[in-house]
Amino acid sequence: MADRASALEALLGDAWQETNPTGFRALLAADEREEQLAAATDALDGFAFHRELVPTSLGGRLDSLEELVAAMRVLWRRDPCLGVGYAGSSYLAAVHVWAGGDERQRRAMADALSANRRFATAYNELDHGNDLTAAAFRATSGPDGWELKGRKDVVTNLGASDGMVLFARTSDRPGSRSHSLFLLRELDLTSARLRPGPRYRSSGLRGVHLGGAEFLDYPVPADALLGAPGQGLEIGLRSFQVTRATLPAMFLATAETGLRITLVAAEERRLYGAPIVALPYVRASIARAAADLLAADALCAVAVRALHLLPAEAPLLAPAVKYLVPRLLKDVVDTLRMVLGAQSYLREGPAAVFQKLARDLAPIAFMHASRTACQAGLLPLLPRLARHSWLGTDPAPGEAGLFQPGAPLPPMDFTALGLGIPRTDTVAATLAAVAEQPGGGLPTRFAAYFRDELARLRDHFASLAPQDTTINASAAVFEAAHRYTVVLAAAACLGVWRHAGGGTASGLGEDLWVSAALDRLAARLPGRRPATAEERAGLEEALFRQTVDLHHAGRPLDLAGRP
Amino acid sequence: MAEPQNATVLAEEIDAFLGRAAPTLAELDRDAAYPLEQLARLDGLGLPAYYVPREHGGRLESHHELFELWRAMSRHDLSVSVAHAKTYLGSVCVWIAGSPEQARGLAGAVLGGSRVGWALTEPGHGADLLAGELTAVPEEGGYRLDGTKWPINNATRGDLLTVLARTDERGGGRGFGLFLVDKAELAPGSTTQLRKVDTLGIRGVDISGIRFDGAWVDESALVGTPGGGAEAVLKGLQLTRTLCSAISVGATEHALRLTTRFAVDHRIQGRPLVERPFVRSLLGRSAATLLTAEAAGLAGCRAAHTLTGEMSVVSAVLKALAPTLADEVLGRLGDFLGARSLLTELHEHGAFQKLARDHAVLAIFDGSTPVNRHALINQFASIAAGHAVGSADGHGVAAATTLTAPLAPMPWRRLRAASRRGCSVVASARTTLPAVEAAGDAGLLALARYAVEAMDRVCAAMGDVRPSRQPSMYAHDLAQQYELCFAAASALHLWTANRAAAEGAEPWAGEPWAGRLWLSGVLREIARRLDPALCGDAPEFAPAWHEELDHRLVDWLVRAAERPGPITAFGFVQHLERSHG
Repeated sequence: MADRASALEALLGDAWQETNPTGFRALLAADEREEQLAAATDALDGFAFHRELVPTSLGGRLDSLEELVAAMRVLWRRDPCLGVGYAGSSYLAAVHVWAGGDERQRRAMADALSANRRFATAYNELDHGNDLTAAAFRATSGPDGWELKGRKDVVTNLGASDGMVLFARTSDRPGSRSHSLFLLRELDLTSARLRPGPRYRSSGLRGVHLGGAEFLDYPVPADALLGAPGQGLEIGLRSFQVTRATLPAMFLATAETGLRITLVAAEERRLYGAPIVALPYVRASIARAAADLLAADALCAVAVRALHLLPAEAPLLAPAVKYLVPRLLKDVVDTLRMVLGAQSYLREGPAAVFQKLARDLAPIAFMHASRTACQAGLLPLLPRLARHSWLGTDPAPGEAGLFQPGAPLPPMDFTALGLGIPRTDTVAATLAAVAEQPGGGLPTRFAAYFRDELARLRDHFASLAPQDTTINASAAVFEAAHRYTVVLAAAACLGVWRHAGGGTASGLGEDLWVSAALDRLAARLPGRRPATAEERAGLEEALFRQTVDLHHAGRPLDLAGRP
Repeated sequence: MAEPQNATVLAEEIDAFLGRAAPTLAELDRDAAYPLEQLARLDGLGLPAYYVPREHGGRLESHHELFELWRAMSRHDLSVSVAHAKTYLGSVCVWIAGSPEQARGLAGAVLGGSRVGWALTEPGHGADLLAGELTAVPEEGGYRLDGTKWPINNATRGDLLTVLARTDERGGGRGFGLFLVDKAELAPGSTTQLRKVDTLGIRGVDISGIRFDGAWVDESALVGTPGGGAEAVLKGLQLTRTLCSAISVGATEHALRLTTRFAVDHRIQGRPLVERPFVRSLLGRSAATLLTAEAAGLAGCRAAHTLTGEMSVVSAVLKALAPTLADEVLGRLGDFLGARSLLTELHEHGAFQKLARDHAVLAIFDGSTPVNRHALINQFASIAAGHAVGSADGHGVAAATTLTAPLAPMPWRRLRAASRRGCSVVASARTTLPAVEAAGDAGLLALARYAVEAMDRVCAAMGDVRPSRQPSMYAHDLAQQYELCFAAASALHLWTANRAAAEGAEPWAGEPWAGRLWLSGVLREIARRLDPALCGDAPEFAPAWHEELDHRLVDWLVRAAERPGPITAFGFVQHLERSHG
C-alpha cells in the first residue's frame, strides 16, 4: 500500500512547490474562494480515487481499511477539504451500502464510484442533531416506490453530489425501528419536488459544500431501500463503527502537517538572537505535540485493525476513538500555535497553511457525531466490561495482529459488524500483561499506573445501574468515560510498543515514543503522573530530537516513522 | 463628541448599541471590512475619554472602569474592541513618560476622536523589541526615522503612532527612543503604508504596516529621553497586558451566553439540554472558569493603582492566564455546540465561530503566552524571596480587592521595570484563611487551604529555578502554576474584602456572589489545574457536592444569560456609582 500512497503523493506533487497547481498555495487560494480545488479533484478523478472505496470483491481497490487510511492520509495531509468534500462524503455513503445493501445495490454503488460519481449522506436535521431517533424527515411507501418529505440541513455535498444515502422516518412509532435508509443513485436537482436550500457557510472546511434541501414528496424507486424497512438505525450504527474508527485516523494527517509547518518555522524564526528552535519551551512544545500525535495514532491504528480482527469490540472502540482523537489533535494544534506565535494567525506568508488546517480541524470534533454524543454512547457499554472483562481472569480473545500496524489483515467483512454490547476489551487487557512484565523500565511503570486507573474505573462502572448510564447520567459518569478513553489510548500505545519488540530491548530509543505519549496521556487524568519532572524533561528533549531527525529525513512523523 | 458618560451608563449604552449590531458585525467580518461606523458610534458615546487621564482632561481614573468598558465591547465583538482599545495602547506610554505638553496634545487628539497605534513590532523580530532595526537619527532639530513596523494594529487607520526606534546603533536596553508621530505632519512621500494583513480572526481590523524612509519628526516628538523608549514600552505593557484580560473575559462571557441560550432552547429526547446533568456540569464549570479569569483581571487592574510597583509580575500573569482559560472554555463550549460553533451565518449570526477565531489572537498579540511566562520566570527569584518572608503591601492588596473602595488616580511614575517586592496578592493570601474558616463551610475551607498551601509550594519551587536566558519547560510549567495561584489569591481576597458589602446589597442580593458559591467554583477550577506532584493532592468531594455547586451556578447563569450586561456581576454596576458619587 505504501506504493498506492506514494503514487498519490507523486500525482499531487510537492505541496510546498509554489507553482504546483495542487500545492498549498493553490489550496489556500481555493479556500479563500470557498471552493474545492478543481485541479486536485480532477487529478484524483484521473487516478479513479473513488475505486479506493470499493472492495476488491466488487472490482475496486479496497483490501484493508488500514490501506485505505494510508491512501486517505495523503489527501488529509494536504487539504482536509479534499478529505471531507471529495473523498469522505462518498466514503461514508459507500460504507452504508457495503454494510446494508443487497448484492445488486452494492454492485450499482461500485459501478457508480468507479465512474467517479460522488455521494452525500444525509442524516442531519438541525433541530435533532445527534439524536437520530428523533429525525422527522419522512419516507412514505406508495405503489411506485417511496416519497420523501422533509428537510435535511448542513449535509456535506448535498446539492453538489450525484447521489446520496438518506435517513428517513418510515414509522410513527418512537424508538429504534422506525427509520430506514435509502440509496438514491441519482438525484434530480431540477425536480420541482426538490428545493435545494442555500449553502451553509462555515469558518472551517470552507471549500466543502454544506447544503440543505427540502424534499416535497420527492419520488424514489422501491429498490432504493437499503435492507428492510425499520432497519435504518441498525445499518447506520453498524456503518458508523467503520467510519467513526477510521475517519479520525485520516484527520490525524492534517495535524501532522501542522507539526511539519511548525518545525520549518521554528528553524527559520529567530528570537533574542538565536533560532527559536534553540529555546527549551519550543523544543518541549514540539515534543508534546508529537507525543499527542503518536498517542492518537496508536489508538487509531488499533481501532482500525480491530474492525477486521475483532468486529465484536468495534462498538466500543469506534466511539472511543471519535471522542478522544479530535481532542488530542486540537491540543496538538493549540500547542503548536504557541510556537508559531503571530504566524499561526496570518492567512498569508510561509505558515499560512497553519491557520487553514487549524480551522479545518475544528469541525472534526462534531462532524459525524459530536464528542459528547460519542461519550454518551460509551456509557451503557462500560458496566458490563467492568463486571466481566477489565482486569478479570477471563482470557481476552486472541490479539494476534491487533497491535501490529502493517501486518497482513483478513479481508474486511462489513456484514460481520454487530450491535451487541461487547463482552471483552482486548485492548485494555494488554495493560495488565505489560505491567506484570518483570524488570521493565518506564513503560512498565506507566502500564501499572494505567492499570490501577482501570481498576478504579472498574469499581466505578461495576456499581452502576442501567439508569445511571443514560443521557441523564451524572457528570461524574461522563467524566469516568473520558478517563476510560485515556486508559484505552494508553493500552493501545503499550500494545503496539510491546509487539514491536519493546520491553525486550529497552533502550531509550525503543521506549521513547511510548513513554512520551503515555506521559501526555497521564496528564489527562486526575492525580499524580508517574514520571518525574526530570524524566519528563529528558523524554521531551529526546523526542524533539527524534522528531526533527525524522522530519529532515522526510520520514512520517507518526508511528510509521518510529524506530 | 457628546458629553462623556458615567462609566456604568456608558457600559450599558455599549451593550445596547453593540447588542443590536450583531448582524452587521457578522457581515463586516465576512467582508473583512473595518467596523468604521461602529467605532465612530463608540466615539460618540464618549468612550475615548476613558483612554485619557483626568489630569489631562479625560475621564480615566480607574483601570477597573476601563476593564469593564473593554469587557462590555468584547462581549459583543472582538474586532470592535481590539480596534477601539488600540488607541489606549498607543497612548499609554505618553501618560507614563511624556511631557505635560505632549500629554496635553495627545489628550486633545484622542478626545477629538483620533486613532492611535503602537508601532513596536518589526518583520522577523516579533516580541523581541530590542532587535528592532528602525532607526531614529538626530537631524536638524529633530530625528530622521528609517525602517519598517509590521504587523501593527491601526498602522494605516491610525492618525498618530507611538514608534519605538533605535537611537543608539548598539541598541540595548538604553538604546531605543519612543516617538509620538503625527502622520499628518510628515513630509509627503517619507512614509509608505504597507497593506493590510489577512488574518484568521479580527478580519476587519487594520493590521497593517508602515515604512519610514527618511521621515523627519520634530524633537518634540520624542517621548521621554532618547534612551528611555524601551523602559517606557515595558511599563506601558504592564498596563495593557493586564487590561487585555478584559477582552478574554468579555469573549468568554459572550460564548457562555450563546451556549446557555442554546442549552435552554434546544431539546433532546423531549427535555431541554440544560436540564441534563452533564450539560449543567459543563456550564457550571465554564462559568466558574470565567469567574476565575474575572477575579484575577479585576484584582490586577485595580492593583495598577495600589500595587503599582508590582505590575511587572501582575501583567505577565494575566496576559498568560486569561487567554489560556478563555481558550479552554471556548474549546469545551464549541464541542458542545457542534455544527453551530462552525457555521458563519446560522445560530445568532455565526457569532460563536467568529469570537473563537477572534479570540485566538489574544494569546499571541501584545506579548504571547510563552513571552509572558518568560517574563515571569525572570522574576521567579524576587517573587519566591518575597513570598518566603511574607513580604506584602497589605494596604495595597486591600485597596486592590475591596471593590467599593475608591481608587486613587493612577500613579504613572511609580511603575517599575521589575517588582522588587514580588507579588503581594499571592504573598498575603494566607491572611484570608481566618475569614474563610469563620464561614463554617468545610468544603470551601479545604479548597482554600489547598490553594494557599499550593502557593507556598509553587513559590518554593520557583525559588529553586536558576536564572537562565533560555529557561526550561519545567520553568514554563511552574509559571503556569503560579498564574493559577495568583487567580486563587485574587478570588480569596475579593471574597474576603467584599463579603460584608455584598450581603443584601444590589446587585448581589439573591445572586451566588452574595454567598460563598462563586468562590467554591473558582477554587475548584484552580484545584483541578494544579499539579499534585508539586502541590499535593487536591481535596476530593462527593459527586453530590459538585452537582449542588453546578446546579446553583447554572440556575443563576440561565437568568443572567437572558439579560444584557455582565454575565457575572462582581458588581461593576452600582458599586462604582457609590464609590464615585
